[in-house]
Amino acid sequence: MALRTNLKRLLNPRLLLASWPWLLLLAAFAVLRISKGALLLDFYAQATRPFWPGSAQQEWLQKAQRFEDQQRIALLEAKLQEQQQHQALQLQKGPWLTAAVISRNIQGWWQQLILGAGALEGIRVGAAVTAPGGLLGRVSSVTPSTARVLLLGDPSSRVAVELQGKRGQGILVGDGTSRPRLAFLDKDVEVLPGDVVITSPASTIFPANLIVGVVQKVNFEATPAPEALIQLSAPVKAIDWVRVR
Amino acid sequence: MAIALDRSRALFATGLLVLLLTLANPSLVQLNGIPPCWVVLWLLPWAVVEGPVAGATAGIAMGLLLDALQGSNLSSVPVLALLGFWWGQFQTARRPLERSTTLGLLALLGTLLLNGSYALQLYGRAEFSRAAWQTTLAQTLLTALIAPLMCSLLVLFWRRISPQYLQPRSPQ
Repeated sequence: MALRTNLKRLLNPRLLLASWPWLLLLAAFAVLRISKGALLLDFYAQATRPFWPGSAQQEWLQKAQRFEDQQRIALLEAKLQEQQQHQALQLQKGPWLTAAVISRNIQGWWQQLILGAGALEGIRVGAAVTAPGGLLGRVSSVTPSTARVLLLGDPSSRVAVELQGKRGQGILVGDGTSRPRLAFLDKDVEVLPGDVVITSPASTIFPANLIVGVVQKVNFEATPAPEALIQLSAPVKAIDWVRVR
Repeated sequence: MAIALDRSRALFATGLLVLLLTLANPSLVQLNGIPPCWVVLWLLPWAVVEGPVAGATAGIAMGLLLDALQGSNLSSVPVLALLGFWWGQFQTARRPLERSTTLGLLALLGTLLLNGSYALQLYGRAEFSRAAWQTTLAQTLLTALIAPLMCSLLVLFWRRISPQYLQPRSPQ
């Protein structure tokens, strides 16, 4: 009985009309809740402006920002210079040639591609073969109109590589799968899954800094030095055209 | 003479087809990305019809051609020669080979031997393939599955054009 009486009182239109300021306040609170207190924070910011930190720290920050900008400019200039040198080297070595993949053997006892371009187009034995994504392998033999590419996963493939940022060098050893093994040369190597592997400047076969793949799994227990499984970045199964130089 | 010429033409044509299939590696006929061992499917019927010498010779010839198609320097010649010679022993078999599962079994053993020889050669070169078992198993299964169908047809084909199976027609 009491509950019904109370409900009747609560829903009394006269009472509701009389208490409109409270209802308005409740609605305002609801808006604040939905906006995650945006109005409240803005109000707080304006209200506390006289008590904000002095300009000294602001100047320090601006100075640090200027310093960082200068560093970035210096870094970019160095990179630009490196890029220009790299480009000059590339021009010396000749342009990249494109070739179609006409035969693909990517699983089994040997892993190779046959390209529909050969010595007549200027492809030479030992040329690096890349695809969108990264390095695929190197040309192992050529005929006038075809070239055979030894893929990185082939058991006889050995490539000098390093982790991006010059953190560790090693040999990428093909083992008949699409995830070749990276045997590090140094025992104390800082490597984590996700690290990018690129061709080493020490390699006499491949141009330096070509992306090879990403570290997928690391075995620190391997002897004499840690080993990692590398997920190759060029999707060899899906590639129909490659670049050769 | 005309018969022999036809036979050699058929041998060259089918051999060429084997090389083309090995190069083209059609994705329709693959198990887990591994193709069947086309050369075994080609050599087995030829050897069981033509005998050990023709079998071994065809094995050596096709082995040389297959080795030329891959750059890894793994050789299939010794095993193919051996297989051709072994399968040639079945030329005088009393049982009708084409009607039994024997062809499938022979193809299975032949593929196992060929894959085993590749694994041994890699081992000898201090290289290894982590997918060796997977490759061997997939190729052996697929080849043994196709062999009873394809090899029995090829056995009948080679017998039809082989002079030793041609019987003079009796006068009516």
